[in-house]
Amino acid sequence: MAIIKLLRTAWDMLSEEQMQQHITTGCEDLDHILRGGIHCGEVTEVGGVPGIGKTQLGIQLAVNVQIPVEYGGHGGQAVYIDTEGSFMVERAHQIAEGCINGILDNFTDHDRKILACQEWMQPNSFLSNIFYFRICSYTEQIAVTNYLEKFLKEHKDVKIVVIDSVTFHFRQDFDDLACRTRILSGMSLKLMKLAKTNNLAVVLLNQVTTKYTEGSFHLTLALGDSWSHSCTNRIILYWNANERYAYIDKSPSLPSASAPYSVTSKGIRNSTSHCKRVRMM
Amino acid sequence: MLTRFRVEGEGERSSMAENDDLGIERTASIQNPTKPSSSIGARVRATHDDDEDEVRVSLRPVLPHSSSDLIHQEAARALSVMDSFHQPWLTGVELLDDANRNKHVLPTGLEGIDVLLGGGLREGQLIEIAGPSSSGKTQPLQMQVCLHSASCIADKGSVMFLDTCNSFSPNRIACMVNQFSGPLFKEAKERRLERIMSSILCQPIYDIFELLDTLHQLESTLKHTVKTGGYKICLLIIDSISSLIAPILGGKSPQGRLLMVSAGIVLKKLAHEFNLAVLVTNHMVGGEGGIIKPALGESWKNIPHVRLVVSRDQQSNVFTATVLKHTMRVAYYIHVSEFTCNTDINYSQMKNQSKNHRILNMLILHLYNVPIAACF
Repeated sequence: MAIIKLLRTAWDMLSEEQMQQHITTGCEDLDHILRGGIHCGEVTEVGGVPGIGKTQLGIQLAVNVQIPVEYGGHGGQAVYIDTEGSFMVERAHQIAEGCINGILDNFTDHDRKILACQEWMQPNSFLSNIFYFRICSYTEQIAVTNYLEKFLKEHKDVKIVVIDSVTFHFRQDFDDLACRTRILSGMSLKLMKLAKTNNLAVVLLNQVTTKYTEGSFHLTLALGDSWSHSCTNRIILYWNANERYAYIDKSPSLPSASAPYSVTSKGIRNSTSHCKRVRMM
Repeated sequence: MLTRFRVEGEGERSSMAENDDLGIERTASIQNPTKPSSSIGARVRATHDDDEDEVRVSLRPVLPHSSSDLIHQEAARALSVMDSFHQPWLTGVELLDDANRNKHVLPTGLEGIDVLLGGGLREGQLIEIAGPSSSGKTQPLQMQVCLHSASCIADKGSVMFLDTCNSFSPNRIACMVNQFSGPLFKEAKERRLERIMSSILCQPIYDIFELLDTLHQLESTLKHTVKTGGYKICLLIIDSISSLIAPILGGKSPQGRLLMVSAGIVLKKLAHEFNLAVLVTNHMVGGEGGIIKPALGESWKNIPHVRLVVSRDQQSNVFTATVLKHTMRVAYYIHVSEFTCNTDINYSQMKNQSKNHRILNMLILHLYNVPIAACF
């Protein structure tokens, strides 16, 4: 059976999967239900109502992937594809500072001073490791997806690709819905392939829309039913009594669970409310 | 439609005729060469209802003192060459034999699904499972099926998993194996786990062309192992075939539908020839009136032998499966009514045979290559 290339037994893959890397989200509860963080090598879709913190999570992940290997991170670079224009450089700078201070907190005063002077611990160097693409139409989005393969060959340190948001250019002005489905499924296959071959995490941020089924309106993720099959994992962010929660909707290996988180000036952190228990579904 | 083959050679005639009760007459006559060193030339004439085809077959040189046995041998060789031009016709008896001997049923381990499927996944069939997202297609259904079959058939063959959405999780499979292994010592558990996991093969596929390529490679590999007697594959799972076909289906050109139907034909051919069960997953799209239906359209509906729809009740974590199409269940009904129709038309030809014999004697030809079939 070795005649067919790329064919491997599940036994070989088991040991590999146990060494699979995760990218921490900054919030311990969320990391706990994700068994470490966002999985590398898989496509994760994150969706939620406006203002819940999707872009914040995207920026946080782009910063967290750069944590050096000595401190439990990956020391990698990030690609941020912005379709809405919601990426604020000042906010990224703030989050990077918050992340660095979080690392430095683990050391004594003396070590801290030495470390803080090192060049790679400056927020600016964190920013320099984020490759930013600004997309203004859906053709540009398709073009970037096609170009990413070549780009990733040249920049082998990239460990995460964040697309914020994947829906924006496909929602309005699309007359031919069948064409939209074809383009989106082709794009998702390419992203799957990129994630697998380069072993990086792909995070797609999605918006919500209203759907009318069985006599009631409820919110679902945008782009329709066919898109819901194009990702490996899905996380839905929602409000619950003035608190933000993240719920794992779809995953091949994780059970459904939800965890609270909060958005602070330093980025995504644990929720500071009284009931911090993780609710298992 | 009767087909006759006649093999004629030069020189002295000696013929061997074969006539079976199906009405196919095959004659081969080889003539002795007048000169020892010349090769036996044979002319094959195939006649059928509409036109005649002539094909030349030449055989190797025969020694001067050739006996009639050798002539018969050569004639049989010529016939086998002719047989390779088209798939052999099979009677119902031969097919039933083949079904009983080779086409086993693979239990899925989930009782409800097994009951719906009439025992489990039948080898030689293409089974489709459709369902909305996170309805239990991949986890636990696929995993369960994959794993249960792997543990049942670990010695006989392996399970091949073609993964299009990076959702193959060896960890989850290992958990399930350990869950169901019962009270065993740790080493025995490890060995069992290794044995089962080593018989599950996984490959990521991101393109319909990659899929067709892999299937063709698999076909040639399996042909090779059939001859050499290596281990074989019992179950092929594709998760999910709709994500491979969705980017090409639709639009003005029929290219997408062509590729989809070709993939279906190749899968069914693999299933029948090499006795494996093929399981594919599909997703759901919105239909008229807000009812969801399986994706891939009307052309795909006829391709799988068995179609199941699964859904999941969010609150209670209960999964339901419904059968949309099943050859065994419906076939009985259609079989009876078709039979009634046939007896009226062909009664004169078949009146001497019993009822069951009549059905079993219907000629069945498996057609996988349309252009060749069309020339007959």
